[in-house]
Amino acid sequence: MKIERYDMIVVGAGPAGLSAAIEAAKQGLKTIVFDENERPGGQLFKQIHKFFGSKEHKAKVRGFKIGEELLEEAHRYGVEVILNATVIGLYPQKEVTVKIGEELRHYKGDAVLVATGASENMVNFEGWTLPGVIGAGAAQTMMNLHHIKPGKKVLMLGSGNVGLVVSFQLMQAGCEVVALADAAPRVGGYGVHAAKVARCGVPFYLSHTIVKAEGTDHVTGVVIGQVGADWNIIPGTEKHFDVDTICLAVGLSPMAQLLKQAEVQMADTKGGYVPVCTKDGATSVPGIYAAGDVSGIEEASSAMIEGRMSGAAIACYLGYMSEGEKNARMKELEAQLDTLRQGMFAPKNRGKLVEKTDEGIAVSMNLLENGFVADDEIERYPGVTHQKGIHPVIECTQNIPCNPCQDACPKGCIRIGKNITSLPAVEGKKECVGCGMCVASCSGQAIFLVKEDVEPGFGEVTLPYEFLPVPEVGERGLALGRDGREVCSCEVTKVSKAPAFDYTNLLTIKVPNEMLMTARFYKKA
Amino acid sequence: MFDIQEKLKEIGPYIEEADDDLLVCRCEEVTKGEIRRALHQGIFTIEEMRRYLRSGMGLCQGQTCGKLVKGIIAKELHVSPVDVYPASSRAPMRPTEMRILAEDGGVCHE
Amino acid sequence: MMERIANHPILGETPKREKITFIYDGKEYEGYKGEPIATALKANGVMTHRYTARTHEPRGVFCAIGRCTDCVMIVDGKPNIRTCITPLEQGMVIETQYGVTAQQ
Repeated sequence: MKIERYDMIVVGAGPAGLSAAIEAAKQGLKTIVFDENERPGGQLFKQIHKFFGSKEHKAKVRGFKIGEELLEEAHRYGVEVILNATVIGLYPQKEVTVKIGEELRHYKGDAVLVATGASENMVNFEGWTLPGVIGAGAAQTMMNLHHIKPGKKVLMLGSGNVGLVVSFQLMQAGCEVVALADAAPRVGGYGVHAAKVARCGVPFYLSHTIVKAEGTDHVTGVVIGQVGADWNIIPGTEKHFDVDTICLAVGLSPMAQLLKQAEVQMADTKGGYVPVCTKDGATSVPGIYAAGDVSGIEEASSAMIEGRMSGAAIACYLGYMSEGEKNARMKELEAQLDTLRQGMFAPKNRGKLVEKTDEGIAVSMNLLENGFVADDEIERYPGVTHQKGIHPVIECTQNIPCNPCQDACPKGCIRIGKNITSLPAVEGKKECVGCGMCVASCSGQAIFLVKEDVEPGFGEVTLPYEFLPVPEVGERGLALGRDGREVCSCEVTKVSKAPAFDYTNLLTIKVPNEMLMTARFYKKA
Repeated sequence: MFDIQEKLKEIGPYIEEADDDLLVCRCEEVTKGEIRRALHQGIFTIEEMRRYLRSGMGLCQGQTCGKLVKGIIAKELHVSPVDVYPASSRAPMRPTEMRILAEDGGVCHE
Repeated sequence: MMERIANHPILGETPKREKITFIYDGKEYEGYKGEPIATALKANGVMTHRYTARTHEPRGVFCAIGRCTDCVMIVDGKPNIRTCITPLEQGMVIETQYGVTAQQ
């Protein structure tokens, strides 16, 4: 039996695996990456929204663009990426068995990095095996990779970031999301993601779960019901929806079976069955490392940094980098990772109800329970001000690690400060020129431009718009509130599609002055 | 990990539940009731359950039902899911045809 | 029938692909070369890919990335083919799977 040797073997060409391979290849390691899929990039190519974070985390760049950049970088540094290559075995001696096409091949790595990511959790209910019940990942794959609508009418189960982001993507693909349900009493994901779904008119049903999927050959409807304190459905609370698709987004679990097979010390935690590893990803077996979701579920942004850390650690372990060089690089990367792990959604806050922001402002309970900030709650945030002339209104109400809006404003109107989880504040003294860069740069689509009195009694609201068809100037339609309900009729007065906006079109609508702080979305009449 | 006799006494007899006919393992079509009944016969680990009922032994290798089975075992045994011993991991990690395994000639990637 | 996405607000126009024909349960259908078999079936309104061995219930696409194996069908005579990750080719013969075989 022949075995081919590499300095470093990476399992999984997602954000963590590719980043690690690049970091190691930069130091001269002969590196190979195996991925069982037809395309590299892991989930990045399905992620069409702009990422959070700051510049160093590639904030405001869309996931699939980050994927393209990573692949280009991997290619530049000579990383070999083998696709349709399924690793079917990993042994403590760092031997790897790979099925490539119809053939088994054997490799030996001086170091092996496992970056296999996660698999979707599922819930079972009556009818859950019917065609039409799909995972949220399946929906993303169908619409963003294979250009087909997952369904016409969809119910989403799960209000974490995946459920929220995929709900929005379903609408971008032209599907109708009839409702979003979650058994938890509060929205699990970022408030800004929830708000952009809610303002499109999607009702949120928190403390609700699926009672049953209806249909004989495929899904024709769904019944949800309110869960009581004992997690059972409260009789009489059932609600029926006509849908052809039920989408499940109920969390992810690390896919760590290969590590277990390699006899790595494992730990069963609330976040799943994970390898016990150091911050740079070293496991209990010398030379075997883990990075990304396989060692604990987080975002792609942190997976990329973790990958870089493991890559540097492996380069040092194999003598391609001195201890001093490694430590310097680690310090830099740790700082990047640390900023992402701050704020209300930091790992330490998981499952906790945070009632006040770092600034001491009460968190909107309406946002947590219904997906949108109520009209009487919005005024208390520092991004929401009233000024003469055009100015940004920033409806960013939770401490999340993100600051592109601060850099986007050429006039310095927006201040977040050093701590990127602080709520953005609008500086009244600086003059807004209405360029809209902040609106387009906000990954949470939470920034609007407001201008009073463009004509007697009427003002203008400029909002981010990522749907087709893009309305025409002069078109009359309906302005929707944060809750997705109609607030008034309106006229489209301007449509901006600058390349710098990166497909976030800016729509300006004219509404009565008294609706300027209420109108937040546009719907064709 | 447990004294089987003690644990069986503690959990009491199997009592039918309304959703016992709900499928848990989609591949091998194993229901919640079958898993619960097996527990009351002293099958306490995922590994034994796999051999006894074939739950998690189908084409997907427990990818979908693993966590669900674990939850049912934990609930029935009155323990936390983190205390349910995980199934072993072995090659092949993904469904692989016998022919491919048999023809393993050790050819290397160029 | 499920609609294909011709134009997407972020991804733009769907690239033009080569149209081909395939046989599904004895009838000819159209799809695009190289797309997953499951996508071509979905575009033609096919939801049920197989019926299970024990309870004979219908199954279709569930995970769409080759993990769950619920979407398997008989492709060119071979059973248990994951249609969500197997590229469609001209003239492919695709059959509904009953248990692990085609219906007698």
